Amino acid sequence: MKIPVTLKVNGETYDLVIAPYRTLLDVLREELQLTGSKKGCDVGDCGACTVLLDGKPVNACLVLAATVQDSDILTIEGLAQNGKLHPLQEAFIKEGAVQCGFCIPGILMSLKALLDENPSPTGEEVKAAMAGNLCRCTGYSKMFKAVESATSGLGR
Amino acid sequence: MEQLTIVGKPVTRVDAEEKVTGEAVYGYDLVLPDMLYGKALFSPKPHARIKRINTEEAKQYPGVVAVITGKDAPWTHGESIKDKPFLAQDKVRYIGEPVAAVAAMDEDTAQAAVRLIEVEYEDLPAYFSPEEACKPGAIPIHENFASYRKFDFIVPGSMPNVCEHFKLRTGDVEKGFREADLVLEERYYVPVIQHAAIEPHSSHAQVDPESGRVTIWVANDAPFRALHEISEALGLSQEKIRFINPLQGGGFGSKGGLKVETIAVALAYHTKGKPVRVKFNREETFISTLTRHEAVIHIKSGVKQDGTLAARQMTLYWGAGAYAEKSPTVCIRGSLPAPGPYRIPHVRVDGYAAYTNKPVAGSFRGYGIPQGAWACEQHMDEIAKKLRMDPVELRLKNIFVDGDLAYWGEQLHSVGLKETLIKATQAIEWGKPPGFPASQLGGEEARRLKPNIKIGKGFACISKPTRTPTTSKAGVLVNSKGEITVLAGTVEIGQGCSTILSQVAAEELKVPLDKVRMAPLDTDMIPFDASTTSSRSTYHMGNAVRRAAIDAREKLMEMARPMLEAKNEELACSNGKVYLKDQPQMALPIGDVVRRKLGNDGIVRGDASYTYEIGKDLDLETGHSDHASAFYMYATQAAEVAVDEETGRVRILRMSAAHDVGKAINPLNCAAQIEGGLAMGIGSALHEEMVIDSQGKVRNPSFLDYHLVTSLDLPEMIPIIVECPEPEGPYGAKGLGEPGLAPTPAAIGNAVADAIGVRICDLPLNPERVYWAIQQKRAKGSSRWLTEVA
Ligand code: FES
Ligand code: FES
Repeated sequence: MKIPVTLKVNGETYDLVIAPYRTLLDVLREELQLTGSKKGCDVGDCGACTVLLDGKPVNACLVLAATVQDSDILTIEGLAQNGKLHPLQEAFIKEGAVQCGFCIPGILMSLKALLDENPSPTGEEVKAAMAGNLCRCTGYSKMFKAVESATSGLGR
Repeated sequence: MEQLTIVGKPVTRVDAEEKVTGEAVYGYDLVLPDMLYGKALFSPKPHARIKRINTEEAKQYPGVVAVITGKDAPWTHGESIKDKPFLAQDKVRYIGEPVAAVAAMDEDTAQAAVRLIEVEYEDLPAYFSPEEACKPGAIPIHENFASYRKFDFIVPGSMPNVCEHFKLRTGDVEKGFREADLVLEERYYVPVIQHAAIEPHSSHAQVDPESGRVTIWVANDAPFRALHEISEALGLSQEKIRFINPLQGGGFGSKGGLKVETIAVALAYHTKGKPVRVKFNREETFISTLTRHEAVIHIKSGVKQDGTLAARQMTLYWGAGAYAEKSPTVCIRGSLPAPGPYRIPHVRVDGYAAYTNKPVAGSFRGYGIPQGAWACEQHMDEIAKKLRMDPVELRLKNIFVDGDLAYWGEQLHSVGLKETLIKATQAIEWGKPPGFPASQLGGEEARRLKPNIKIGKGFACISKPTRTPTTSKAGVLVNSKGEITVLAGTVEIGQGCSTILSQVAAEELKVPLDKVRMAPLDTDMIPFDASTTSSRSTYHMGNAVRRAAIDAREKLMEMARPMLEAKNEELACSNGKVYLKDQPQMALPIGDVVRRKLGNDGIVRGDASYTYEIGKDLDLETGHSDHASAFYMYATQAAEVAVDEETGRVRILRMSAAHDVGKAINPLNCAAQIEGGLAMGIGSALHEEMVIDSQGKVRNPSFLDYHLVTSLDLPEMIPIIVECPEPEGPYGAKGLGEPGLAPTPAAIGNAVADAIGVRICDLPLNPERVYWAIQQKRAKGSSRWLTEVA
């Protein structure tokens, strides 16, 4: 059985017909070809699939696509605006916070949610905001620095 | 040396932008037109004969295209021992071994059909410890071991289930023990852990029914080696096989060798030319890819009263898991330097790689060094304690310095070890009372109120060889716009090679970095490279790209000579231009040179190949070689920890990591590599362990139960770059990727022992283990894995 579903992703509206059990992550990746949201575990443990639902970070692998038809969904593909990188993206590049990059979309989305709520977070708040996002490559410290640099405007 | 313009600068990564925007397409993201979806059935038994497989029902399931078993894929492969079937043949050897596979219209259908396959097994006795598996009388996990095809250097010896026995023989250890004032013997254990790259494993494959050509899309870290292995297994010439490498979301060694690839290839032979994608989910990645070798290590040393090492004997049992994969070479290259980076006149090492009925162990960042260091470096601290000597002083008495003859018969040069030792220990204020920032524990006051918190410091040193001898080839193309394309088979696994190699090409052709791009990795187009492993790339591929760029530069200058009307005048190259050395205004942009000679579509190509020519294999009887490694990496890491004696919880307060990189081609990237290695090392020290029960089942195959370090778990990290140049390396560079985590657990182990006065010989140092160690000290009892400090 399939059902019609309408999703608002990065400001665009998509009309889809999908099985009701499909997750938002699978629909983003497979129906909309938005593969920037990554699948590291598919069960809510790694945070690589983090997207924003009305500004709140969620693991897209734990959300059924059919249940979020009324929400504004923001994915990593929508983070840069009009071809201009978000200050967090700039800062991640500048501070060397990226290695394999697989965790990066999820981490940037978690941090974007944090900065939208709290434009000058403390170090502890940054760590807490990222605690659900696993990175196996970097040891996180350059990411902390990147947030500092983005929030102090140096990343712009 | 000429002034360097780009090499040595902390430039930002060339691949960062596509990664922060989500544009980067990884292996796990890849969709091919018309592709089918594959899923495998995994063995639920650790060791059993397959009596019967029934695939009938699965074949009837709507949407299924193919259902296959080992009979449909009668091939075996393996890097140095051809022991591993594409799909289980006749028997299974671990829980998680692929037994059958399905290709279908979509993944759900494939998975549903897999559930309909029935297999009947007959249980066999199983072994879960490498030490047990090679005891006399153990039944063989591989009955036909003798008939397997193997590399020449494989010496299995006579013990059951041993697929490699490495021997090092230097001097006479018994004599050394007799001459010593102190003889100390201990046993250490390192459990199975996993690479746990955040991108799980996947592979796509297609077999062209007409030409028989096999194409494989996979984020493998050694596509040329994988190509060779597939070609040998299938009996197909290498031209009939093509590997295309999409981006890799981390590997740390797990994405070498063939795992999911063989399932995809086997299925692709039954899909009438359609490509098949096989993706492992996280649980499948845990149980059916690769792990790091568990190791049981016996170490015995004889020491003089003044701290001089007289003799050391080590026996290392490496748990290979069910198939050999890279175990023989991990055993060799992990056992060789296991006695530590010290001058020791009498050394005897026996390394045994033993099959067990556990998941397959493979290469893992560090390639056997972390295991040896866990034993050796804690053992060194025990010796220091017995001699009432400062552990730094004990190391300084014995550590390798330039000109030393290492115990494997090689004269060492460019040894930056001492500098790493001094800098790493200084960074945590070695010898001074706890120097942690007071804020961490709430100040002196708070400490007095918390008598249960004990502070300790520790450090560990390592040296690490690289895979030798090996070859890297490279091409460098210059087009008429003055743009450079680098053809190199080094895989961007997150380590930053695309930036490093771009810097090298930009340096030699004197162009800005943004004029350089790396060609995508496709074995049809890219020249040969041995592998992206063993921290070999900066050195080997760095040399190859550098020479290829110089070759291109020289060709450009020759072409420019008539254009600049230069007869015998000397030419030079800088800022993207060729010019007369004495008249710099007589200059031509390199793109113009190409265009004027070859037209708008012209391309000038430089080529080069690099092999460390004098590299020699180890002697099979003595383990000696006068050039065992193209270069050695040296490092010291030091930790300050706080242990809560009530809970057993270890908190790292700060940790330094000093690494001799020869020359930092990109200091920003070096620091990033060190920090990432350190974080992984901290995880392996404090909590990482694949818990495999007495039936061979992995009990924690998820990130919920297998704990990686999170943003909340890390201390202040102090990366320190030491540059002791390697004359043969590009600009003096050595390698860096692997050693980052190698001394970490031992450094932390030493700090914990310093804090609580108990030596814990098993990893990880989780609260439970530390708590019981403290309780045992209080009760004065003893147990297998704990040795009380005298
Ligand atoms: S893929 Fe969603 S949390 Fe891991
Ligand atoms: S950069 Fe590789 S997982 Fe974070």
